[in-house]
Formats: sequence, structure tokens, C-alpha cells
Amino acid sequence: MAAPSLAIVVWLFFVPFLSSAHLSFLRDGQWSLQNYALVWRLYKIDVVYTLGISLVSLGLVIGIAALVCGYLRIVGHRSVEFLFKVPLFVPFVVVGHGMRVLLAPRGTLNSALAQVGVVDLSDPPSIAFTWIGIVISLVWKNLALAVLLVLGAYRAVDEAFLEAARNMGASTFRQIRDILLPISAPSLVVASAFMFTSMLASFSVPLMIGGGEPPHMLMVDVYYRINYQDDLGTANALGVVSYLFAMGVAGYYLRTITVRPP
Amino acid sequence: MAGTVLVAFVICAPLSSLVIWSFARRWSWPHPFPQELGLFYWRKVLEGDLLRALQSGFLIAVVVTAATLVLTVPLAYLLARYPVPFKAAILLVFLLPHAFPQLPVFVNATTLLYRVNLAASFSGVVLIHMVGALVYAVWTMTAVFRSIPESLEEAAWNLGASRLKTFVTVALPLATPGLVASTLLVFLYSLDEFTGTLLVGSPFVLTLPVYMYRTSVGYELQVASIAALILMLPGLVLLVVLERYLKSEYLSMFGRL
Amino acid sequence: MDVRVEGLVKRYGRVTALDGVSIGFASGGLTAILGPSGCGKTTLLRSLAGFVVVDGGRIVFGTEDVTALSPQARGTAMVFQHYALWPHMTVFDNVAYGLRLRKLPDADVRRRVEKILDLVEIGRLSGVMQRRPAELSGGQQQRVALARALVVEPRVLLMDEPLSNLDAKVRQRLRAEVRRLQKAVGITAVYVTHDQEEALAIADTVVLMNAGRVVQAGSPQEIYSSPESAFAAEFLGVSNQLAGIAAADGVSVGSQRLPYAGPVRGRATLIFRATDASLAAGDGGAAPEQALLRGVLEERLFLGSVYRHYVRVEGETVMVDGAEPVEPGPVTLRVPVAKLQVYAA
Repeated sequence: MAAPSLAIVVWLFFVPFLSSAHLSFLRDGQWSLQNYALVWRLYKIDVVYTLGISLVSLGLVIGIAALVCGYLRIVGHRSVEFLFKVPLFVPFVVVGHGMRVLLAPRGTLNSALAQVGVVDLSDPPSIAFTWIGIVISLVWKNLALAVLLVLGAYRAVDEAFLEAARNMGASTFRQIRDILLPISAPSLVVASAFMFTSMLASFSVPLMIGGGEPPHMLMVDVYYRINYQDDLGTANALGVVSYLFAMGVAGYYLRTITVRPP
Repeated sequence: MAGTVLVAFVICAPLSSLVIWSFARRWSWPHPFPQELGLFYWRKVLEGDLLRALQSGFLIAVVVTAATLVLTVPLAYLLARYPVPFKAAILLVFLLPHAFPQLPVFVNATTLLYRVNLAASFSGVVLIHMVGALVYAVWTMTAVFRSIPESLEEAAWNLGASRLKTFVTVALPLATPGLVASTLLVFLYSLDEFTGTLLVGSPFVLTLPVYMYRTSVGYELQVASIAALILMLPGLVLLVVLERYLKSEYLSMFGRL
Repeated sequence: MDVRVEGLVKRYGRVTALDGVSIGFASGGLTAILGPSGCGKTTLLRSLAGFVVVDGGRIVFGTEDVTALSPQARGTAMVFQHYALWPHMTVFDNVAYGLRLRKLPDADVRRRVEKILDLVEIGRLSGVMQRRPAELSGGQQQRVALARALVVEPRVLLMDEPLSNLDAKVRQRLRAEVRRLQKAVGITAVYVTHDQEEALAIADTVVLMNAGRVVQAGSPQEIYSSPESAFAAEFLGVSNQLAGIAAADGVSVGSQRLPYAGPVRGRATLIFRATDASLAAGDGGAAPEQALLRGVLEERLFLGSVYRHYVRVEGETVMVDGAEPVEPGPVTLRVPVAKLQVYAA
């Protein structure tokens, strides 16, 4: 009964996953560490770049979600809550293209700002095709999921806890900071781990928005290595590096949830 | 009030740009609005490759959804109700495709598919879509079946109904809202899938996301915007429909064994 | 501080939770709001705290109209039914929270927290200040909740059925504690409960509510011995109800007649308490100032302190409590005429 589903996932995910490790040590058919040497030489900046973008995006997403959901939980605002669900259903590729059109040097945002005089027509700033464009896109898309998860966690907090704080004189901000956040912290950690891994692994967005010049995000590097240089070895070495980061995050998450006494 | 406007602006800005571009016949910098609006590109596009990509993507999504549900529903029921051996391991297997970066894995998967002559084929793309779709479906449907009180099925057994009959007449109907949610989620996932399709489908099998990507980086902005809008439609329909069905308990099941 | 509510109205859709409620809460006194579920007592308490915004009426603390103030600005302190102690903070942080919001210096905060924990008699518990609420028993948690409320020296202390979550024995002990603390601090307190025994035990004034209205208000003794309505008579004590017809020369219950000198005429409800009646086997004779009823003793339960007898009288079952057991069979029930309350039906 379970066989066909398991078979597909094992064949088309687990086997290739494991062969990444195998292939990363092969070069011209020989066992070699050359691929990893190449990764170190050519791509170490990209690794830092990828981690940096992911951390910045995660920080923004969690920070905004923590505050916004606090207001949604305590004060309530149905239209804002609905609006935040929209990006959930917009595919990453569409986000990529939309941001291109919006944030490009000659994009709609700049031309709108030019009408108001904020932007200089002869030298418009280029937000798309830089790390800022990628961060904006990742934040825009992931904020929807973050709001959903954080609001769910906040709603699980007993209203009496908030009323007791209000009774003592706590403002909305203090209620978020002193009560909602500490009590929902475990859920926020789960959400963060999940989103961070997905940001590390983002492909379509940096492909469309990242721009032609290095540095690139890791997945784009893998793609270019395979597509333009047919270098399966180094591409897989990069892949293995990305798996290690994902496992690191998962390990951190597991440690956080098991350290607490049940 | 100001907050709502700000949020609305931030959410809608990239999307509205797409709308404007799709109706632009001629638009050059630095005008804030197109100089010429029209349905020109809509007509042009619907006669050409876009239609092919749309049809092919839609068909793939239908096949993926059907196959996934057929394979997943019985499995999910078993996992929810019975002490399956290695249950934890099985559920973990169905979690990992979303825990690790897909691209490098799919690069190698493409090679595997190539060896059995399935690369650049319809079936190959269907299979690569199912890898991710099965994950969503197994977790959602397991949560759905778990949420049906066992006592309802026990009452049927007590009265003499066989397990199969109980499953069909009691469990399945009660699981309908979750089933609907799963179907829509999987369908949308397949329709929007990009990475796997780009690697496995090229160059013969085209879906709308890949078509949209190509036209976007090729600076055919009107065409790409139209493709993007069409791609967004099923998502927005799902948003409105799921406002009724999307219970956060389904999402919260992700990652909890 | 004197507290007053005038004409409070609160509606939830078609349901009227508060229907023109006016009460004065004497400064330094403990007022119990008593009533069945849904009578509006909790809504009233939450209106005082500011968690419920009323549709009409005024709330006055001293000379200040606080009706429009937010909960943060009212200066009340609430003790919640399930304590609402923040699980992620220590006992010390829980109690100190209100003081810290008021930006008091750390030394003052420490001093006041220690003092209040001593007052609620939990200060001696070793390491209590560093413990988390989950490590304390229900009774201890309730003391901490009280401490948290009292330490900020609020204008009014509001208590929302604070003891209903505790075991019967712990509840008995803490009742006296609550009263002692309130008197020691001298604070105006409003105590909501559905337990009439509790209300009578600890309150200076009891306000009885039903269906969003005040039914009767007075000292516990007044309310208990002079209930002004059938509802009040029935709600307090273990009461029995019988249907009858009242006339100038007496009140008849079925085929039996009882002495009656009051003003009610026509259909009436007779109420008397289980503890006020006495039973004798067989056919007892008449006695001065006593009403007599004949019935059949069907069942007897031993409650430890009394025997509770279930007697069938004219088709209704009434309860009579007594120290000595009586054997099932025909019995005579005697109630002092003064304790027999008759109300228009």
C-alpha cells in the first residue's frame, strides 16, 4: 500500500540526494577532492552571501510578523489579516517576475517615485538585480507564511494571560513583548528554522532577480555550473554544502526543542 | 487605517505592476503609465506558445493530482489509524523533500530519469512533480484522518460494517473538506512547480512557470506579465475557497510526527 | 474608595447580560455578587475592570467617572478564576510585573514583593520567589495571584470566582484567608461567586443577581433570613418548593392546610429550608407556631454531618435534614411558621 508513494520519493529524491555525496567526490571519473577545492576557491563568497541574505530576510520576516501579529491578535483587523494571506498563493516565479517589473531601474516603482520627484530620471537606483531585490522578494513571499504561523501561535495563548497584563497596565507593545513572544517562542523557532532553510535553498527568485554579476545565491551557482559548464562534480559539491547547512539548521531546531523539560 | 493602506500597497504593488504591464501596448521609460493600452498582447499570446504551455501545465497538474490522491489517501488512512511498522521513519521520508534544497537533488534525478528515457517527457515531469506533491498530500491527509474521532468508525464496526465499507461510507465522507483542501494544494503545487520542470522538462515539455521565466528574462515583459497573471488566478481562487477550509491545525502538523 | 455603578447596560446581540444594574460598593468592604450561571455577575465584574465596554450607564471610582477608561488606566486589580499566572515568569517576576510597569526602583520592588508574599503567607516557602507557577499547588498559585493583585495597591480588588478551581478542603481554608487579607489591607473588594455558602461566609454585603438584574442586596444575615422573592429564598440554603393556594385563613398544599397570615392571595409558592424542618414518624400531633405536613419518607442519605431525608408530600419531593435518622414510611413534617416563606406564584 505504501510502496508506490515511497518508491517515487525514494527513487527521485533519496537516491539522487545520496548520490550528491558520491558524485561530489568524483572528477573525470576519479575519486578526488578537486570539486571541494573549487568550491572553496570560487564560491566561498557566495556561501557567505547566501547565508547573509537568508539571515537578513529571516530577521525582517520574523520581526515584522512578531509585531504585526501582535496587533492582529490583541486589537484585530480583518482586512489586513486577509491581505497578508495573498502572497501565500502567488508562486515564487510570479514573485520573481513581479519584482523585476516593479523594482527594475526602469521599473514601475522608480517611475512612480520619479513623478513625485524622489528619484532622478537619469540615474535611477537599481533595486532589482541586487541583494536588496532578493531580500525584498523573499520577505514579501515568506511574510505570508510567517504571519499565518505566528498568528496561530499567538492565538493559542490564553486570553487571561493578556488580560492580567492589561489589568496591570501593560500597553499593546508590552503585551507582545512580555507575554505573547516568550510564550510562543517555541513555535517561532520552528517557523524560523523552516523558513531559513527554504530561503537558503531559493532558486527561482535569485535566478530572476539576482542579476548577472557574482556573487550569486548557491542554487543559482549549482544551476549555472550544470547548465553552462556541465560540471556535475562541483555542482554536487555545492549541493552537499547546502545540505550541510540545512542539516545544521535542523539540528539546531531539534536541540532547542529537546532541551526544554517536557 | 493608515496601516491598512500601507499593507495593501506593499502587498499589491508587485501584483498591480503585472496587471498594468499585461495591458500595455507600448510603454517606455519614464512614463508612469503605458502610453498605449490594449488587449494586443493578450490576443498575440493566446494564439502562440503560451496556450501550449498552459494546456500542458494544466494537464500535468491534473494527472499529478489524481495519481497523488489515489496513492496517498489509503496510505494516510493507514498511518492515521494503524500502528504501521516504522511509522516514524515513513513520515520522516515524507518530510525530507521539503527540508532539503531541491535543486541539486533534482539535477541528479534528471540524470536518473534520462537513463530510463523519461527525461524531457511528460511522464518524467509528472514524476518529478509527485515527489513534492506526495509530501503535502501525505501530511495533510494523515492529519485529516487523525482528526476524525475513532468512535465514529467503531460505531460502524460495532453494527457489522466491514473495514472497507466503513472507510468508504464513514471516514471518506467525513474527510471531504480536508480532501478538497489537499486536492487544491497539490494541484496548485504542480501548476506552480518550476525547478523540477525546468530541469526535467527541458526542452520539450513546457509549463506556464517555465514559459513565464523564459519570457521574463527575454524582456518580453507584456507576455511574461500576462503569463504571470494567468498563473496567479488558480492561486487566488484557492485563497478564497480555502478561507473556509484552511485550518491551521493542518499546517501545524508539518514537522510534528 | 467608594465604588458605584449606575444603570449599567450590556447587550450581546439579542442577549441582555446587564439590564440596568445599579450597586454601591462600600469603601473597605467585601461585596459578593452571587447568582446562577448567566446572571451577569461576571459581565459586571469585567465591566468594572474595563475588559467589557458597557452600552449604557456609568462606573464611578470615588468621584471619578471611569466608564470610558481602558483597562490599563482604571487602577483595578483582578484575581482570575484560573489565576492567569504567567507560566514563563518566576513567582517574583509575576508579582513584580505591575510594579515594574510603574517604573519603580528595583530595591522598592523587591521590598514590596517580599512584604506581600509574607502577607499572603507564602513567603516562608523555601525558594518560592524563584519558582515557576507550575511548580506550585493550586492553593499556593491562588495566593500568588492575590499577592500580584494586592502589591500594586489598586483602587478596587476584583475577584472572579477565585476559589472555584480548588479542592473543597483547600477552598474552605482559603475563604477565611481571603477575608482576613481584605480586612488587613482595607481595600474595597468585589467578589463574584455562584456558591451561596461562600458568599454568605465571607461577604459584608451580598448582591443577588438573576438574568442581568439585581434581585436583592443586603447583609448575609438579611438575605438569608428575609429573602424578598421566591428566587432569593430558593437560591440560598438548601431549599424546598411547594405549590399551593393562599387565602386569608391559610395556605393549602394539595389536600393539606397550613396556617398563614400574610398578604398573598391565589396561586403561591411555599419555600422552606431543609434545616428548618423536622420529621417524626407516623402521625404527629399539632404544635404551636408550627406548620404540619403529612408525607411519605422514601429515601434517606447519610451526608456525614446530617441525614438528608427525601419525603414525598402532595406529589412533590422535599428534603429534610436532621441529626437522627428516621425510618422510611409515613411521616409528619414540621416547619416553624416563621420559617415558611410564601410568595405569589
